[in-house]
Formats: sequence, C-alpha cells, structure tokens
Amino acid sequence: MSLSSFRRALWAYHINTGSCNGCDIEILATLTPRYDVERFGIMLVGSPRHADVLLVTGPVSRQMVSRLKRVYEQVPDPKMVIVVGNCGIEGGVFYESYNLVGPVDQIIPVDVYVPGCPPRPEAIIEAVAKAWVKLEQAEKRGVT
Amino acid sequence: MSILETGLDFWNPIIWISVFVIVGALVCIFRSRGQKRYKKGTAQAEIFLSGEEPPAVEQRHIKAHNIYWGFFETLAGYYDRNIRAHTGIVNDYVMWFVVLIAITAVILFVVGLL
Repeated sequence: MSLSSFRRALWAYHINTGSCNGCDIEILATLTPRYDVERFGIMLVGSPRHADVLLVTGPVSRQMVSRLKRVYEQVPDPKMVIVVGNCGIEGGVFYESYNLVGPVDQIIPVDVYVPGCPPRPEAIIEAVAKAWVKLEQAEKRGVT
Repeated sequence: MSILETGLDFWNPIIWISVFVIVGALVCIFRSRGQKRYKKGTAQAEIFLSGEEPPAVEQRHIKAHNIYWGFFETLAGYYDRNIRAHTGIVNDYVMWFVVLIAITAVILFVVGLL
C-alpha cells in the first residue's frame, strides 16, 4: 500500500448509528498526541458536506437508518465509507436484536471494514489510509 | 479626497468603498476555494441538520413574531385589548372616529367651548 500523493487533507465525518461509544472513543484516540492523525492532514469535520470519508460506528438501529442514508447522500462524490467495529460489520454484541436494521453494508455501500470490539487506533488509522488510496484511485478514474 | 470632518471623527466614502471592495474580493476568493465536488440539486447541496430531514424553507427561519415574544408577553394586557379593537375593517375604524368625535364634542359642549 502506498499513498501516491498528499495533495490535500483528508476530512472524515463520524456518525454513530447506535454504538456503545467504545469505537467512538478509539476514533477520538487517533486524534490524541499519541497518534495525532492531524499531522497527516486527517481530521474530523462537523458536516458530511465537507467530508471525503464517512466513519460509521454502531450496528444501525431502526431510528438511525434514515439519518445514515441522508448523511451518506450528503457526502460529496467521490466518497469512501469506513465501518469501525464489529457492530457495524455484523451486529457484534447486538446481533439479531429486535431494534436493528444493520449491519451498515445492508444500508449504504461500504469500502473499508475495521473489525474489533473496539478496534485499536492503529487499525482505524490504517483503514483511513486504505480509504485514502481508494479515494485517490477513484479520483483518477474520474468517479463522480 | 473628500473627507468630512465632524470634529470627533471623519467620514470618507472612498475608504468605505475601498473596504467594501477588498472584503468582497476576499469573500469571492474564499468562496472559490470551497468544496466544488458536490452535485447541485441533490442531497449534497441541502443543509445539514445532524441527519434530520431539513424542513421547508419557510419553516427554517425564526419568524418576527417569535423575536417579539417577550415584548408581547410583557405587554399582553395592552395588546389583547388593542388587537381585539383592530379588526382591520374600515367601517369599524370610522365608527371609532365618529364615536370619539362625538365624545369630544360633548366634552367641549359641557365645558362651554362650543
């Protein structure tokens, strides 16, 4: 895996679709001085309209389906979706709960999966780097 | 340069226009460097309300009535009576006019000015 360029920063928007907050805390850990992803230009933004990457945590509860779809649609193209944590990948500890509609890839297309309960910050950073590579490839192909 | 001196301050329209043009140019530069990848006419151009469906345009703004809520609430006694009196019908206003003229005429007649 290699990043061909750092032409611009990579902005990510984080949405919690029913997570226990474990994965959210690990995402925040990537911003702490120990990992400090902002030195690479990777940062969290407050609106999906500014984002390149959508970070999704949680197994997607019934109430969050329309919100998740709307947020996904609001991210400009080309965009990448990263699912952080087992819950978003296959339900995790909430597997087959009555109030779940997920996992995430049942609702929106997913590009990178980060398994773990919760995944370590290094895994999240690697996933973002992979999404960055895919994003650059998509831009080169002219995907809009 | 036509500078208006007021004694305490000065007014120069050239400076105002210059500042306006410079600020306008800066706004245009910042705007041109913004996100260009979004598709117009799709959800990507809609306002973001934490994933909630954005309300209709006319519902997004705070109405003037809301701004004056405290004012109306404080003076409710005054406004309740006045709003009831203001029906918006011209006949009612003419009636008030005639009644007040009649009362004024009676008062003036009583005090002996007529």
